Amino acid sequence: MQYEIKSRPSYSVVEVQLEPGEQIVTESGAMAWMNNNMRVSTSTRGGFFRGLKRKMLTKESFFQNTYEAESGTGLLGLVPGQPGDIVAYEMNGSELVLEKNAYLASSPGIECDAKFDGFRGLFNEGMFVLRTKGTGTLFFNAYGDIEEVQVNGSYIVDNGHAVAWEPSLEYKITKARKIRSFLFSDQLLLRFEGQGKLWVQSRNPSSLANWVYPFRLKQPKEKNSGSGIGGFGARIGRN
Amino acid sequence: MEIQILGAGAFSSALVKLKPGEQLVSEAGAFFRGSSNVDIDVSTYAKSKKSGGLSAGLKRALAQESFFLSKYTCNDANDGEVGLAPKMQGEIAVIDCDGSSGWLCTGGSYLASTSGLEIDTQFQGLKGFLTGESLSFISVTGQGQLLVNAFGHINQIEVDGALTVDTGHVVAFQDTLDYKLGKAASSWLHSFLTSERVVLKFKGTGKIYLQGYNPDEFGHSLGPLLPYRK
Repeated sequence: MQYEIKSRPSYSVVEVQLEPGEQIVTESGAMAWMNNNMRVSTSTRGGFFRGLKRKMLTKESFFQNTYEAESGTGLLGLVPGQPGDIVAYEMNGSELVLEKNAYLASSPGIECDAKFDGFRGLFNEGMFVLRTKGTGTLFFNAYGDIEEVQVNGSYIVDNGHAVAWEPSLEYKITKARKIRSFLFSDQLLLRFEGQGKLWVQSRNPSSLANWVYPFRLKQPKEKNSGSGIGGFGARIGRN
Repeated sequence: MEIQILGAGAFSSALVKLKPGEQLVSEAGAFFRGSSNVDIDVSTYAKSKKSGGLSAGLKRALAQESFFLSKYTCNDANDGEVGLAPKMQGEIAVIDCDGSSGWLCTGGSYLASTSGLEIDTQFQGLKGFLTGESLSFISVTGQGQLLVNAFGHINQIEVDGALTVDTGHVVAFQDTLDYKLGKAASSWLHSFLTSERVVLKFKGTGKIYLQGYNPDEFGHSLGPLLPYRK
């Protein structure tokens, strides 16, 4: 398999080239384009129940598709659901932990197991993660630019900004210290401890959702003085 | 203090390296990563120069932009680092303030500043009630570096004479420039019908930073597509 990641970090896309017989596994929905030499089989990998468990635990339908090249060189374009960066991580029998939405694609030799990672820290908060293990190339993505951090001791990441990390790192969910303002008392942070690599993303989809939220229009009243004024009213009455 | 801009493009972020004793100030909530030896102190650090008769503006500012600032310091003898990111897509610029003039920065554009800069919030009186816009500026004085973020691309323009700018596109400008709120068209009704918004008319000499896109316009384009609010 050969691959190239283009348009980093804002509009990343992975172009994959496969020789006949070679396969790649992707999150379903990731395929943007492919040539006629590619065959797709939607499968849940590991049997029906395994796929079902993933769907229930990660609160999203984590079904994987397997693509295989037949007869000639296969070309495949893979994109994530949100604009942002993609990282290719080479694995050699090793493991990597991903935030639940970060998985994009992987070589068939990599197993993915979704699980609820237990309650971490004092506040009864837990995270859904994807634990990957095996040999090959793993592609993960995030909304935002992805930067790699070499953790040596401990490091803090805002909840929602951690993309992936090596399992040698332990993490705890904590709150920021010295918070005087009640507005920020529920800002959750992740504290990673140990030695290992950590990938962080520079934007957070929930911040975007919170930003758009106040722009919703007020429910229009039942009595309306006329559709013409009502139309203008939508423009005037933005607040 | 060392300031690095990472991920140039739509998803820029700032990585600031702090030495013990140094202090960085940022919009509260901009922090998204950092070394564990950095203390984050969130408070209403910014002061308002005008306090009377501005409760409506205050409510708007609190609703739209965080009025709160975070202060970062190392709590041990080691160097630390702080990563800051805006909420919107767009670029970050570092403005070197050499003290020869102050700067005015719109509330949503302020990201961070070094401790040699004093941050004061001042509210511009709202002259265009029809548009429902609020206009609040943060005034930055002293010496240091000011980090601003934009929705889209950041443009730097040297004004020498006059420049008219749609208010939604202003990021920051030197206070050597005179500014006046105005309307683009000849009457308020005409402005309203042509969807021309409130503009700022600048006069004099100075630098101005503009953003390529207007976040309010984008928000208003999405708002009608979402469920109504009660």
